Amino acid sequence: MISILQEELVVRKKWISAEDFADMVVIAESTPGVIAVNTATSVGYRLRGVLGAIIGTLGVILPSFVIISALSYLINTLQDNTWYKSAFAGVRACVIVLVLNAFVNLGKQMDKDVFSVSLAVISFALVSFVNLDAIGFDVIYLIIFGGIVGVVISLCKNSHTNNQSDDLPLQQSSDLPNEEEQQ
Amino acid sequence: MIYLQLFWEYFKIGLFTIGGGYAMLPLVSQVVIKYSWLTERQLADFVAVAESTPGPFAINLATFVGTTVGNGQGGFWCGLLGATCATVGVVLPSVIIIIVITKLLDKFRKSKIVDGLLYGMKPVVVGLLGSAVLSLLCREILPNLSTKTYTYNFDGFSVVSLLLVALFVPLSKVKFKGRKVHPILLILFSAVLGVVLFGVVGVGV
Repeated sequence: MISILQEELVVRKKWISAEDFADMVVIAESTPGVIAVNTATSVGYRLRGVLGAIIGTLGVILPSFVIISALSYLINTLQDNTWYKSAFAGVRACVIVLVLNAFVNLGKQMDKDVFSVSLAVISFALVSFVNLDAIGFDVIYLIIFGGIVGVVISLCKNSHTNNQSDDLPLQQSSDLPNEEEQQ
Repeated sequence: MIYLQLFWEYFKIGLFTIGGGYAMLPLVSQVVIKYSWLTERQLADFVAVAESTPGPFAINLATFVGTTVGNGQGGFWCGLLGATCATVGVVLPSVIIIIVITKLLDKFRKSKIVDGLLYGMKPVVVGLLGSAVLSLLCREILPNLSTKTYTYNFDGFSVVSLLLVALFVPLSKVKFKGRKVHPILLILFSAVLGVVLFGVVGVGV
């Protein structure tokens, strides 16, 4: 969807510059939610403030809203149909692969340091092998936990790097390994 | 009241979906099971439909779940209300956040805190997605096996499902004219295969 947005807004209608659009994609990627919707919101806000943000968002979600509302009726009536059951048994196998690919892709984006990998493994194990629903443990707590620890570690790494570079005398900085380059 | 629940739960989901549309899946799964709105199997079906309809997958899924929950309460208008609650709920957090941070764009872009948050949240989401894959795999291929309740019952092993999954792993990586094949084609193809193969073998419960 981003490429369509760019084509329409930057190239055809020239409502925003390519640089501004790139900024908005960055915001969209770093905020929670769907990139496509976030980009629309971002652009809408840039162009017409809060009202623009709302209208842009509504615009992007409305078509699917209409189509799905209609489609869900079809699904509801078909659910006990044998053809439907057979077809969707096949479809579910495909869905497994789609989720698998999403898992792999996000895994590639993730840093491969000890912290990240351990956290991923722990989350996986916890959700797969512990009946969290029974103890009322919301996986969102895991996400929050990860976020907090991530911030703490990230800030610690940063202050460590800053301290290192303060000690390096200018001329000899090439002899000593640079923390940032090592990472 | 169920509509408030829909809105609130989807608000939380929208707030914590980091790393793309599929990151929403473990969160949605948790919610629909908790309130018994859908079975995991129905959710998997909805994922396929959400991928095959225009619009962002995650939004489609929210609308779908909302419509179904609403329909369960009453007729068409209930479905529409449910859809609205879920869809508005899921986009609202990001709309609010974006409006707030666009003013602070520069600070946000260079913010170590945001980097740190993403750095910490992504691994968790990776773990959650991995778990979702495992869960789906078990349900389809070994329906009597449950990792959560530690019932390692290998009855009802579905060879067909396993073969289909094995087939679609490489199939999803196929490129046509440099672009990966669109999921909707994969889904349609799998539906056809499903009718053919499961029509013969029969679908397990």
